[in-house]
Amino acid sequence: MLTPRQMSRLLIVASKDRMGTVVNELYRRHLFHIEDFVDQASPEYEGFKIGTPLAGATEAATDLVNVRAIENTFSIESEAIVAKTRAAQTDMVGRIEHELPAITKEVEALTGRRARLEAGIKENEQKIAEITPFASIPLDLDLYYGYSRFVVFAGYVARDVSIAVPNEKFYLKGKSQNFIVVVAPLEHRAEVERVLQEASYQAVTIPAESGTPQSRIDFYSGQISAAKKEIEEIQVKIDGIKQKHAEFLVACEEILKCKVEQTEAPLRFATTNETFVAEGWVPTESVAEVTQALEQATGGKIFVKELSVDYEHDSVPVEYDNPSFAKPAQMLMDVYSRPKYTELDPTLMVSIVFPIFFGLILGDVGYGLLLLVMSFGLRKFMTGDEGTMLLKVLRNASISSIFFGLLYSECLGFALPWSPIMFSRHLKIGAHAVGHGPEVPELMILAIWIGLLHITLGRVLGMANHARQDHGAHRTKAILANAGWICVMWGILMVIWSMVPMPYMPNFTTLPKLVLTLNITALIGVVMLVAGVLFIARESALEIVELPTIISHVLSYARIVAVGLSSVAIAMVINFIAIGMLIEPQLKSLTIIGVLFIVMGVVVFLIGHALNLALGILGGGLHSIRLHYVEFFTKFYKGGGKKYSPFGLKRRFTED
Amino acid sequence: MVDVPVAAAITDVALMNASQMGMKALGAGMAVGLTGIGAGVAEMAIGSAAVGATAENKDVFGLVLLLTVIPETIVIFGLVVALLLIF
Repeated sequence: MLTPRQMSRLLIVASKDRMGTVVNELYRRHLFHIEDFVDQASPEYEGFKIGTPLAGATEAATDLVNVRAIENTFSIESEAIVAKTRAAQTDMVGRIEHELPAITKEVEALTGRRARLEAGIKENEQKIAEITPFASIPLDLDLYYGYSRFVVFAGYVARDVSIAVPNEKFYLKGKSQNFIVVVAPLEHRAEVERVLQEASYQAVTIPAESGTPQSRIDFYSGQISAAKKEIEEIQVKIDGIKQKHAEFLVACEEILKCKVEQTEAPLRFATTNETFVAEGWVPTESVAEVTQALEQATGGKIFVKELSVDYEHDSVPVEYDNPSFAKPAQMLMDVYSRPKYTELDPTLMVSIVFPIFFGLILGDVGYGLLLLVMSFGLRKFMTGDEGTMLLKVLRNASISSIFFGLLYSECLGFALPWSPIMFSRHLKIGAHAVGHGPEVPELMILAIWIGLLHITLGRVLGMANHARQDHGAHRTKAILANAGWICVMWGILMVIWSMVPMPYMPNFTTLPKLVLTLNITALIGVVMLVAGVLFIARESALEIVELPTIISHVLSYARIVAVGLSSVAIAMVINFIAIGMLIEPQLKSLTIIGVLFIVMGVVVFLIGHALNLALGILGGGLHSIRLHYVEFFTKFYKGGGKKYSPFGLKRRFTED
Repeated sequence: MVDVPVAAAITDVALMNASQMGMKALGAGMAVGLTGIGAGVAEMAIGSAAVGATAENKDVFGLVLLLTVIPETIVIFGLVVALLLIF
């Protein structure tokens, strides 16, 4: 429970002609984490080579690329599809052979046609853009070209020009640019060019068209709209195919992915001319199952051996081993880092403490219920593994919020009909605020206690981790250093308790004084402090500079109170503005403007609480997880374990 | 005749208490506000570097989150001081 699942290292050796059978069996079992063979990595593998893919690898890979291309065209996402029935593998193989080429052909024809139409639209738009400048000039387009004795200039100029030689000119003043067309005899070409250049002339291409410009523009626009209509029809057809074949396509992808992974598995094995060797990891409780299955599949012509594990050098893949209620918290662990194989796995503690922190911070029946509804309502939209886990974390957190809400007697910032069972967080906001007000010092002490216990637990786990992982003199030093940190923390506390009386904490101030102003508990505290510092310094003297973190980390738990109080304050302010200031005064004598105010009050109430809920999720979630990552994990947890990803696939759309 | 100075004294005490409360509130506000600014300035550079590092290598997320929130301690101290001042 507190450690990752136990793994065993397996060595599988068989002749090459059994490779297909072995790979298939391993894939089906979905238990074997392959340790990739790297050429010339270790001396015992001298003479071995990386294997070559099994037959059919290339075809399967090509088909897979095709299927993914079609899925891309249809924007099908396998995540979003829920299979109604699972297709049988054998059926699918036949269907892939027969139906897939047909679908590919149909889709290719449609997308090809669509691409051609889109290109046509672009071309026509280009032509329209070319003709548009000539639209306002009263000349047919065929009058612009085909002369042997005249030259035609058309383009934009900065200003009107007067040309000394004989010519015919059309000038059109525009907003930003002026359009000009000049027709002149060929022999005056140079002169006209010079005059135009002076007016910063920019030539435009003369379109090779005939008829009036407007009629040509209309013609091309007609073609564009026709093409657009056809594209729409094609889109409808593509949508039809998508509806019809989506499930088949994702099933195809799954089958082909299986095939590709299986046929390419030998690339991860070591081979000689006649045999192959596969090394990998299997959960210890499944070793017998895998061995038996392999022997059965190959008729006993295989050698399977459990190798000894060298924890120093082997990187053992890590699979969580938690009771089902703690599983969602694995997501929170993976965000930080997966535990190493030799390390204690704190998932169980996170799964219990995280919701408690969240509840202590949010602690509101109304918000808790809203979150609970949300965590169930969002299940339809978040179907991935991580999404589901996140929603389960949210569900646990919201249940805890409701529980603490009942204790705090809070619902959307209002008080419930009973007075708070735990410490009150009711602030005095608004004109008729009554009651005691928040018990902040008591809440702070509670937070400090939580911090002290949480950090002590972290240090104890740190001692356990060092005891498991280290050897020799270093092991003792490391364990003692962790004990030293605990001693320093509780030593400081003992000294404080002997000097200042505090609520909900032991009071040692009344004990008789022994030396100077110190009583017996203070002396014990000082001894613990000094011993602790010595233990810490023995492991690493540099750690001494970290001593102030003892205080800052414990005080950091005050955020449980602070963030919670701010959330209560916002909720109460919203209620005061919406109800106390906007709605209530109007209810005494209802007028038309009064109704407007009431509507405004309702809007403020809804938006305000929605905003506060969002802040509550962020505040409650982030601060709780931060207390774990920063204050708790730094005491004992390193992480950096390799994820256990067994060879095989969790099938969703097909079955064997 | 005696009543007047006593009444005046009571008003004085009430005034003094009120002004003390005001000063306390002001102090508390400054404690949270200034430490908040301090933490913000400190986290600014760390945060941007952290986002960059995470973009390059996702595995460092846990570590950079740690580094980013280190300056938060300042504002927590401010908050503790403020709460102790007011309550």
